Amino acid sequence: MKRVIALALALVMVLSLAGCKKGTDNGGSSSSNNSSNSSSSSSSSSSSSSSSSSTTDNKGGDEKTTITMWCIATESDSNHNAYVKAIEEVSAKFPNVDFQWEAIENETYKTKIAAAMAANETPDIFFTWSCAYLGDFVNQGKVYCLDDVLSKYSSELPESMLGNTTYGGKHYGVPTTMNIVALFANMDLLAQAGWNKVPENYDELIKCCDDLLAAGIIPFGCAGGETWCVTEYLEPIIQKTIGSDALNGIFVNGATYDNADVAKAVDTFQMMIDKGYFDPAGASLPNDDVKQNFIDGRTAFYQNGTWNCADFSKANDGEFLAKVKVTEFPVIDSSKSKLGQLIGGPSDTLAVSASSPNAALAAEFAAELGKAICHYGYLDGCGLPAWTPFYDTSSINPLTVAVSEICKNADSYVLFGDTAQSAVDKEPYLNAVAKVYGKELDGAGFIAELKSAIR
Amino acid sequence: MGEAVFLLKILLLTIEKENTMRRKHQTLTVILFLLPALALFLGVLIYPIISSIHHSFYEYRTFDNAGAFVGFQNYIDLFNDHYKFGKAVVNALILAALSVFIQLPLSLGLALMLGKGIKGERFYLSVYFMPVLISAVVIGMLWEKIYNPIYGIITKAFEFFNLSGLPTEGLLANKKTALIAVFIPTIWQYVGYHMLLMYAGVKGVSPELREAAKLDGATDGQVNRYVIIPSIKPVIKVSIIFAITGSLKSYDLIKVFAKDARNLPYEVPSLLLVRYVFGNYGGIASAIAVMMIIMCFAFAILINWLFKERNPYGTK
Repeated sequence: MKRVIALALALVMVLSLAGCKKGTDNGGSSSSNNSSNSSSSSSSSSSSSSSSSSTTDNKGGDEKTTITMWCIATESDSNHNAYVKAIEEVSAKFPNVDFQWEAIENETYKTKIAAAMAANETPDIFFTWSCAYLGDFVNQGKVYCLDDVLSKYSSELPESMLGNTTYGGKHYGVPTTMNIVALFANMDLLAQAGWNKVPENYDELIKCCDDLLAAGIIPFGCAGGETWCVTEYLEPIIQKTIGSDALNGIFVNGATYDNADVAKAVDTFQMMIDKGYFDPAGASLPNDDVKQNFIDGRTAFYQNGTWNCADFSKANDGEFLAKVKVTEFPVIDSSKSKLGQLIGGPSDTLAVSASSPNAALAAEFAAELGKAICHYGYLDGCGLPAWTPFYDTSSINPLTVAVSEICKNADSYVLFGDTAQSAVDKEPYLNAVAKVYGKELDGAGFIAELKSAIR
Repeated sequence: MGEAVFLLKILLLTIEKENTMRRKHQTLTVILFLLPALALFLGVLIYPIISSIHHSFYEYRTFDNAGAFVGFQNYIDLFNDHYKFGKAVVNALILAALSVFIQLPLSLGLALMLGKGIKGERFYLSVYFMPVLISAVVIGMLWEKIYNPIYGIITKAFEFFNLSGLPTEGLLANKKTALIAVFIPTIWQYVGYHMLLMYAGVKGVSPELREAAKLDGATDGQVNRYVIIPSIKPVIKVSIIFAITGSLKSYDLIKVFAKDARNLPYEVPSLLLVRYVFGNYGGIASAIAVMMIIMCFAFAILINWLFKERNPYGTK
């Protein structure tokens, strides 16, 4: 009997292995992250597909050229749907391309792309953040220049959207969407605290938070498990205290962190923590959990990127959309800042590896793909379009429309701190931000640490 | 007579020549057989160590650019508060101590209990070994849910029994509880692994010894103390080496809890190493790697020395 069971188990194992192999050969169509491709029969990639670049020569006519891409549009990512639709559409335009793509979780992706760059094993096309993040790769000579390709799209892609991906006067990235940091409010919870509108200035925000606490509602949720989420709170507070120019000076133009107003802003953030405005449970949670807490009505406000409009519009079968409003963080020091000074800008970008054997073809594909992702991403509410919309936008969700109104009145943008600063400066910056949220550094400690570690 | 001596000399010379050739042939065979293992040893172990030592003397801000030669500065900087290496080493040593003084006694207890041949021995063996088979990522996510400050089973239990004292930010975010909260699953996961090693040792002890001790009137505890445990000392030594070096190198489970968070109370050297190597501090990361290698070797040598057989008069 034992032998029969052992034989049956061995058979199951062999069959399952054979099943895995078949899935790999056929492209594992069940894996939506790795679906490809051209309209016809060509196969989609598997997650185990090689990361190396294009393989097949295209000159033969019938033979397909394999183009590979890595991105962060995993199934739980707001942009996933836009990527799937865009890839399907663009693959149909390139019937001679066998497009294989792989989506990797955000933080893992940063590690993977850095290692791949070092080993010259990057895919043909890769997702990147603009400004210093892409700039580090450009400086290493790892990125293909897109001037020739993008010149064909000058009427659809405004030059103003290319500023963050232009280095030494040359274009190295295809922007998809642009996003800002915004304050989302659950109006049902605000109403329970006696507020029928979102706070319009800083004093109102503080009063509103006090009222929420009195009503037993936690005002803010912030994911301490992912330090970039803490920057989504701290950076707007610093910006609305010291102004865009001063913050941009620190992030991009080499100004020192030794600025008393920065210390004041950090102390403001900590005052809000001390008063109990932040959900203590968020300290160790990842962003997805904190966002879900906001949707579930545990916290009244959630400050994060506007790509979340897509998730909020779909949450609870669309019911949550009616409850939520979006605004910008109010001005703290009106002598230095004003409404319309925003954190964000065109950051999500596609770039092409300089080492790609089919870089020219990959560049054309990336340009079309960037345009299509922008199109579907905008329709889904994943951000505002970096490309000029050429389609019907009447069905855009009201949150994204509200974000576009905020951007219409924008005075200036400062790109996200972990993207705007070089990789070397980013590390001590994020460490110091985490210490601020953990109450280990106050304002003076924050500027002292960053003054010695960065400038 | 002279011819006979001459022939004998030739014979001896021929034999010697043949022996020399055979020895040479044997030596060549041995070298050829050892070559693949030697190549692997050099390529997989020795070369990366030498490479890490070399990298640790440079800045290595990016992977493909060594940057300036800084000598031992990376090692000096490691003990600067900024890099938090000292705190990470202390955490790793706490984990090692917990492993040795909590995990291994637990494993030994289970091994002794099962080794006695209780009913359902195989079943219990499988149950205790099961956590070792589960991926560290799965265990991490499981315990993360257990610790969740909103819906975790611990939170719910405190609510159900109306107990207070649980930190509102959760066990993983509280500075006083985070270290122990992370180390509990780390220790729990490998109890079964050490138990299996020791169980094999217990089963290897001759049953006659156990029976003889029993006949002399020894209790179960005395049999374990004076017969079984001294017999499995080599296995216990191996377990201690594995537990300590494993603690110094621990990464996967802790990374699941850490996610992208920084400034954690439970940072360990491997976590810092990975963060720095991908955070443009390649030289510092290499220095951490070298320090970890030195620590692991040092502990292995120390434990070997501690377990060395000595005669009762103190000389070897």
